[in-house]
Amino acid sequence: MVVKDGVISPSGSNDPDFDTWLSQQLQFNEPHLDDDGFCERVMADLPPAPAKRSERRATRYQYAAVVAASAIVCWQFPLDEVLAQAAQQSISLYSLVGVAVLSSLVAMTGGIFAARR
Amino acid sequence: MNLNDEDLIRRVVEDGDQRAYAQLVRRYQSQLRFSLRQLCDGDQGLADDMAQEAFIKAYKALPAFRGDARFSTWLYRIAYNLVMSHKRKNAPEVDQEAVDRAQSDQSVEEAQQLGMARDLNSAMGELSDAQRQAVHLCMQRGFSHEEAASIMKLPLGTVKSHVNRARAKLQTLLQAWREEVVSG
Repeated sequence: MVVKDGVISPSGSNDPDFDTWLSQQLQFNEPHLDDDGFCERVMADLPPAPAKRSERRATRYQYAAVVAASAIVCWQFPLDEVLAQAAQQSISLYSLVGVAVLSSLVAMTGGIFAARR
Repeated sequence: MNLNDEDLIRRVVEDGDQRAYAQLVRRYQSQLRFSLRQLCDGDQGLADDMAQEAFIKAYKALPAFRGDARFSTWLYRIAYNLVMSHKRKNAPEVDQEAVDRAQSDQSVEEAQQLGMARDLNSAMGELSDAQRQAVHLCMQRGFSHEEAASIMKLPLGTVKSHVNRARAKLQTLLQAWREEVVSG
């Protein structure tokens, strides 16, 4: 059965190039759909873009630098002398440790904020 | 600048460059919306909604896209899944008004088309849904049988069988046009 101009007639034979011809016809007859605001609608509904990988990497380097700097400061800190002085002047060891921890936290937080800016 | 899909995807994932994604949307919107219109039985509004959802879903999943398949295959798979899942959920509720509207639009368009296009549409209408989708993906979109099988979530042999049967039917129905081209 063959259809041409809406008229049905008996069938024809096989054709090896039929696939190519059919693909061409299907593609040729396909209309191009105008964007018509479609792209804008999609983009408007996308979630916010995540931080760039380079920015994330830079942030990690900044944290690492602050931690390394804090470690060097702690390493250089004359802890033995301070403890000896504390013992001599009968300063509470617990309050001394508390003050030290708080100071370190403040310093690290300040360092992180400064580095991020 | 016309970058290929891989470069655009890299920009989106590594730099969070949404303009690169907009370029991908513009590149595939027409093809995907046209394909989904066929899949949604002519409901253009539903097809566009599904296409929009597919692009958004693809964007969210883009960091997990490993590049094993082409971006277009991956996008079509997402879109087809969305439509099929929508059809399963909304099987009894067909927006008949939208379908009628689309069909009446189609009739106006068809009246303007030449005989070949009209007969081609008519012949495609003779195919089953699965055959039509298989032919559309393989012969119109240029996907391989494997890609079409992955998109349609069907075994490779089934897709090949759909394409072969559809080809035979179309070859019979459109033989007169083909002979006319060959004979010049």
